Amino acid sequence: MPYELIIIGGGPAGVAAGIYAARKKMKALLITKDFGGQSINSSNIENFIGFKSISGLELAKLLEEHLRSFPEIEIKEGVLVSKIEKKDKLFQITDSAGGTYETKTVLITLGSSYKKLNVEGEKEFEGKGVFYCSICDAPLMKNKEVAVIGGGNSGLEAARDLLPYATKIYILEYTNKPKGDPITLERIMASGKVELITNAKTEKIGGQNLVEFLEYTNLLTGERKQLKVAGVFVAIGFKPNSDLVKDLVKLDQWGRIIVDHKTFRTSCEGIWAAGDITDTLYNQINPAIGDAIKAVLNIYDYLNSEREKN
Amino acid sequence: MVKIYTTTYCPYCKMAKEYFTKKNVAFEEYNVENDEKALEEMVRKSGQMGVPVIEINGTIIIGFDREAIDEALEANK
Repeated sequence: MPYELIIIGGGPAGVAAGIYAARKKMKALLITKDFGGQSINSSNIENFIGFKSISGLELAKLLEEHLRSFPEIEIKEGVLVSKIEKKDKLFQITDSAGGTYETKTVLITLGSSYKKLNVEGEKEFEGKGVFYCSICDAPLMKNKEVAVIGGGNSGLEAARDLLPYATKIYILEYTNKPKGDPITLERIMASGKVELITNAKTEKIGGQNLVEFLEYTNLLTGERKQLKVAGVFVAIGFKPNSDLVKDLVKLDQWGRIIVDHKTFRTSCEGIWAAGDITDTLYNQINPAIGDAIKAVLNIYDYLNSEREKN
Repeated sequence: MVKIYTTTYCPYCKMAKEYFTKKNVAFEEYNVENDEKALEEMVRKSGQMGVPVIEINGTIIIGFDREAIDEALEANK
């Protein structure tokens, strides 16, 4: 017997979908490498409704516990999905451990992962001063000067994670104004340790064995400048994890899955998507949860109408 | 012998420790945030500074990589 629904991804969207599928008593399976998605990299989430403050890892645990409190849903943890194939009216899904599953519908909530800068020295110095997880690696920057690339929320949060350790934090923003929440910006600027550099295009990261400097161009004057820093935290956003389905569903120019924003259907009948992997306007936990729930409810309606047809 | 080099709030460090606990594998933790000797050792062994770094009987694993951990544990049974 095929599943009625397979949910791929265990971030907030996937878990929300799993809970609703369980409550609808759908024959459903959720496949994920880990729970929590990219939110586990956040030291402190202050806008998840109902929680004044919660760490990403705590949130991930609560999500997992909530999902596991429903025996109705099957969970396959610790594997990645390696293939999705359409076979007549069903989909066949293969995981990285070689398991295969058949399902009538698929909901993709695979989210996104760190975007790289693609500048000279970035790859060479990864882990040697170039970091992507500020909550993990900020403590290694004790008494050091560092640069954060990106003035969006993740960049501002990286600067916040660095405040207790670094002596000086440069935030390099490509445009003329950081896009992150003003409340976070005000707080980190109040520390006196942060210098905001706007219109800055990062060009190069260099050093001997570890990072020693960064070069950027001031986009207004064209002038190239150097900063002596021991660390570069890259926080320029995320790229959707849509490689798996690029031949099955329509993607936009940034590789995000195009969905209908009422039903969360993709261009392929039987496949839905929700959360950061889609062409949503706002990459946030709260709306991702709402979108995933709407997707599951639509899948439920779809399965019912398919049943009536037969 | 399993060693894990960590920082205090690193989520992948916590996930790795929980993974070892779940598998009943004993480990020694070195928090490199306040232990410069351990930090030096970690950089020397792994050639980089990112955490977590896991050492399983001489095998160095950078990051929380479940498959690499399983493999190293299996090889050292």
